[in-house]
Amino acid sequence: MKNPYIPLAMTAEKIVIETDDKNIKTFSLSFLNKAEESSFNYLPGQFAQLSVLGEGEAPFGIASSPTQPGALEFTVNKVGVLTTALHNLEEGAIIGIRGPLGNCFPLELFKGKNIVIVGGGFAFTTLRSLLKYILYHENRSQFSNVTVIYGARRPGLLLYKDEFKQWEARPDLGLYLTVDQADEGWRGKVGVVPNVIKEVAPSPENAYAVVCGPPIMIKFTLPVLRQLGFPPQRIILSLEMKMKCGIGKCGRCNIGNKYVCQAGPVFTLAQLNELSSEY
Amino acid sequence: MLNTSVMIRDTAKKLLDQKRVDLIIGFETGTLPLRSTPCFVRTSEEAEKLIWNASCENNLARYLWGRKEKVGIVAKGCDTRSIISLIKEKQVAREQVLIIGIPCHGMIDRRKIEAKLDGKEILEADEATERVILKGSDFTETINKAEFLHNSCNTCSYRNPVIYDVLIGDKVEEKQGIDEYGEVKEFEAQPADRRWQSFTNEVSKCIRCYACRNACPLCYCQECFVDSSQPQWIGKTTNLSDTSMFHIIRAFHTAGRCVDCGACDRACPMGIDIRKLTKKIEKDVKELFHYQAGVNLEDMPPLAAFSLDDPQQFIR
Amino acid sequence: MKEMKIAKSELARFLDSLISEYKVFAPVKQGGFIAFQEIHSGSEVLLDYVNSKKPPKEIFFPQSEVLFNYRLGGEGLGIEEPTFEDKPMVIFGIRPCDARSLVIFDNIFNSQEYKDVYYTAKRERTLVMAIGCNQPSSTCFCTSLGGGPFSTDGSDLLLIDIDQEYVVQAVTDRGKQLVKKHSQFREAGRRSLSLMRKVTQRASTLIKSKVETGETKKKLDGMFEDPFWDWLHEKCLGCAVCTYLCPTCHCFDIADETLDQMGRRVRIWDTCSFPLFTLEASGVNPRPTGKERMRQRVMHKFKYFVDNHNVAACVGCGRCIKDCPVNLDIRTVLNSILNR
Repeated sequence: MKNPYIPLAMTAEKIVIETDDKNIKTFSLSFLNKAEESSFNYLPGQFAQLSVLGEGEAPFGIASSPTQPGALEFTVNKVGVLTTALHNLEEGAIIGIRGPLGNCFPLELFKGKNIVIVGGGFAFTTLRSLLKYILYHENRSQFSNVTVIYGARRPGLLLYKDEFKQWEARPDLGLYLTVDQADEGWRGKVGVVPNVIKEVAPSPENAYAVVCGPPIMIKFTLPVLRQLGFPPQRIILSLEMKMKCGIGKCGRCNIGNKYVCQAGPVFTLAQLNELSSEY
Repeated sequence: MLNTSVMIRDTAKKLLDQKRVDLIIGFETGTLPLRSTPCFVRTSEEAEKLIWNASCENNLARYLWGRKEKVGIVAKGCDTRSIISLIKEKQVAREQVLIIGIPCHGMIDRRKIEAKLDGKEILEADEATERVILKGSDFTETINKAEFLHNSCNTCSYRNPVIYDVLIGDKVEEKQGIDEYGEVKEFEAQPADRRWQSFTNEVSKCIRCYACRNACPLCYCQECFVDSSQPQWIGKTTNLSDTSMFHIIRAFHTAGRCVDCGACDRACPMGIDIRKLTKKIEKDVKELFHYQAGVNLEDMPPLAAFSLDDPQQFIR
Repeated sequence: MKEMKIAKSELARFLDSLISEYKVFAPVKQGGFIAFQEIHSGSEVLLDYVNSKKPPKEIFFPQSEVLFNYRLGGEGLGIEEPTFEDKPMVIFGIRPCDARSLVIFDNIFNSQEYKDVYYTAKRERTLVMAIGCNQPSSTCFCTSLGGGPFSTDGSDLLLIDIDQEYVVQAVTDRGKQLVKKHSQFREAGRRSLSLMRKVTQRASTLIKSKVETGETKKKLDGMFEDPFWDWLHEKCLGCAVCTYLCPTCHCFDIADETLDQMGRRVRIWDTCSFPLFTLEASGVNPRPTGKERMRQRVMHKFKYFVDNHNVAACVGCGRCIKDCPVNLDIRTVLNSILNR
């Protein structure tokens, strides 16, 4: 009987600072024991529990795509005990991992459809996994038009800046970056994400919207999407809750009768509406 | 006490009808014998539920935190002292509370009765002025109320409300010549290792439910030290060391603020003698700072203020 | 197998012989209360009691349990998984409500989909020997939740007190085997069986506390936004008494304890009553006040658990009723729900 509470060992191969305030770093982790790599099969949307033994453990969306062999990537915002401990690590440090946990984005449903990816702040992690999966050369033709609308408070807080530069050049992707407050070098849009969505006005025809962001952004984004004509079953959300066990046992991450760590973190708006208005 | 209940109801109805308060916090009959339960009354009709008897042991001042409305509150002596402490610490404004003061003869300690009945279940309890008639499935027993009061009630010198806006009934005679710290002095006289053993025996029963803390009217911190993670002061398991620290630190945090209402002691499901510590600290505060919490609105809690002539023999 | 019985005078001897083979947990006096503790002699057992203060869930799901130890500085994470004893256990003298609670607990920790290593290590090697309740307490409402003073759910053996003896109902094969192996059990005659029927019939009438819970889940289905929750929680202190003393509450926290390079990760009881339960590091709390937390507690026990496992997470043992510091009575809550 495998014990799901025992973390596996990973090395932090690379640690990259993402934001100008240095509060967000991306960790590239690889399994210490190479044999464990092949058993960690995940899909975009899933998460893992990362441990710094002695400090604790917390859930993080997997930011890399399974189409990238080798390292698993996690983007971590420094906000509490465990995230501070992670930020204090140096390259080469050992981190524990349990996963993959949770459900993934409904990739089968996305096939042949237009995908509108909407992200805010540092919630772009699993959306990056999804985007990279879709853009992967072997997969790209399975999906139709891909639109990405991603915003942060200011340019220095945008994640994955180098990758976005590369993606901007792609003809098979409609990319709209926006900030609430521009700085001197900023050439992209200025405005909050919900307003940019209104402006871009992606068509709901044959399309799925995938949304991830802070509660305030979600609160104002959903009505915009609904007004554009996206039905609740084609608005996909990835939720965050405080989690401990990650396997639906400790009782804390539920919304209604579903545990976000098991039935989620990916939900359709239709599913959430049914569960309860708790979130 | 039926009389008292009627007077409370009439007062409550008047206050609500005159809109002098938006809410009245009092007691209604509980679902078990010898129990009453806090109730929140907002209309005249609801005020009919209010009662008063020797099972009204909770300290309702606990429910004053963070209220925006004008609140009427049923309060016995110790409760009014807690209210004074809360006013001094700016947790509630004097104008915000309308204190319905009740002179108190003491509250019944159910555990003492359960011990006397050796586990036999009480199905009915009829309380009279001096006595209580207890009925079980195969027994009837009459007890003298005065012999089965909480320890904190036996040593109480504030049976009458210290402040009030309305007084229900007549004041009662305060007891004279009480040795309030008799038990503490006995404990102090023991050698250190015996005291430590005694203390750890008590707290090893603790299940970290925090009923003591949550029942205390003065434990209103937004983030309690037990919940702090940066830094983490104590662990969350029932490890004796962590649990001991919880009780010790909480007792110190109440120094100069605790009025010995006994709410913590009464709330504990495991029957831990929590007052062992808090009463000792209360004695120390009295001796060191000549201060008793909650007896008037003017003097400052010793650990919340300083004056240039504070004792400082410990600075050498 | 014919119904058997054991004389009360033989019980200590029977327990002594059990102790030679099993780790035996039984009710003993501890401080002013009853607790299920390991006994080392049959004479330690208390037989005249209502129920334990803490529920026997703590034998299978202790308040703190080491998930693993670790030692840093070597290769990898230095994790040492715990080893488990394999001496078989008997829990003797458990009440039918608590025996039922183990079955409810199994839905979480010992099911087809998932077997918790720590829980099953104890659960699977434990034989449950319950004693029925001739004298239910006024706070017992087991019959309202599918249980009863002589329910056999979760027991391997059920003992029924007929004054000088216990009639023994063997519920499982494991129970039958145990009875066969011990000479203190004799065949129960007609007289014993008729006494047993008298006792069981009488006890059912003694459960005075009844709540019609049949419609509760359906009511709760539509009650998430009901203003009922605004006032229900007002007197609740938000402590953990009801949850920690509840035989079916299973929520837990995971914490690391460390001293320099060594440490351990422990699983500890937690409660949805605490604000910290769902408080995120960012400061956002999906259940910011007592209202949401009380709603969660009631909904989880009487709707969500039913949705997921077809049984309410409550056995009507009455511990929460007895020990709530403000006498917030779950029976009153349930009746209020039914009257909405």
